Amino acid sequence: MKTLIQLFFGFARIGAISFGGGHASIPIVQREVVEVQEWLTYEEFGNLLALDELTPGPILINSATFVGSRIAGIPGAIAASLGSIAPACVITMLLIFLLHKYRKLDIINEVLFAVRCMAVGLILVTILRMSGTIFLMNGISFQIDYLLLFMTAAAFIVIYKWQVSPLLVMIICGALEVSVSYLMKMFF
Amino acid sequence: MSKLKKCWILFSTMMVISSTANSGYAILSVVVRNFVGKHHWITEEEMEDYIALVQGAPGSIAINMSMMVGYHVASLLGAAAAVIGCAIPPLVIMLLVTAFYSAIIGNPWIDIFLHGMQAGVIAMLANLVLGLFKNATKEQKIYPLTIMALAMAYSLLTDLSSILLVIGCILIGCITFITKIRKEKSAK
Repeated sequence: MKTLIQLFFGFARIGAISFGGGHASIPIVQREVVEVQEWLTYEEFGNLLALDELTPGPILINSATFVGSRIAGIPGAIAASLGSIAPACVITMLLIFLLHKYRKLDIINEVLFAVRCMAVGLILVTILRMSGTIFLMNGISFQIDYLLLFMTAAAFIVIYKWQVSPLLVMIICGALEVSVSYLMKMFF
Repeated sequence: MSKLKKCWILFSTMMVISSTANSGYAILSVVVRNFVGKHHWITEEEMEDYIALVQGAPGSIAINMSMMVGYHVASLLGAAAAVIGCAIPPLVIMLLVTAFYSAIIGNPWIDIFLHGMQAGVIAMLANLVLGLFKNATKEQKIYPLTIMALAMAYSLLTDLSSILLVIGCILIGCITFITKIRKEKSAK
């Protein structure tokens, strides 16, 4: 029971500050889940991001469900998800009230702009951190996984230039990695 | 149409939309098509206000949008119906995926696959950040770049939760807005 309450309030905290919409809120969720609450490791969060692409639903609810169910099964998932939605309920209602009272809420656009810039900075750091764990083999700083690095660069170009669905690219990367590992095992 | 019937339509429509849309923004366009175009329950101007509002609120766009649309159509009961309809599909699907994940996570090939997928995740994030960056620096350079640098520094150099950073950026947005208003007033 105590864990459920922890999950509820933990995700309420996350839900209250995950601004930016869609993927822009990823670094904030990541920071809270991995560093502050220490519910997942960076690698596990990376897996969660991949799973989030596979499933419908916002990253916030998917994270809540994932973390909640791993810690306390189905009740945990529900507690975490409810917690993640709760602050949005309050704040959204407040905004609706303000909208009806003041008619114009241009200040939101300005705030949104600042938050988007913040998101850029945070996502860059997320990329750096993920790169740190992914591209270094066994966490050793001079053993670089060049294949993975090359794959990431190629994936980026493919998504950027030809607008290929990120999900498809991710699956192909995964499959390639498995194929290469398998081939290396066969021949070495 | 009775309120109960409207709630049912809100619930079932959001369930369908939530199961099939991939991002919050995709959900926005389907919601517009459905509740403005098909049912004519909301006007285009009102929807524009809601779209602006929903990006300023924390949490997921999908949930917040459901709440606003639901409240508009059938007040609190409508909001609840829409939100629950929106939240159930990702909850259920993610629970299934997580159960599946726990069962297969020990498998070394699955680990390798997920590891490879992260190359795609990084590529996707890099693409996202590029888009956001270009958008933010379209008109001015110094203001957005300062905030981005601030966010990066905060994330890299401190261990603190993102709460302070988010509040700081909201304040920066408000101050910028007030400054702009003052400039306009004094220009008149």
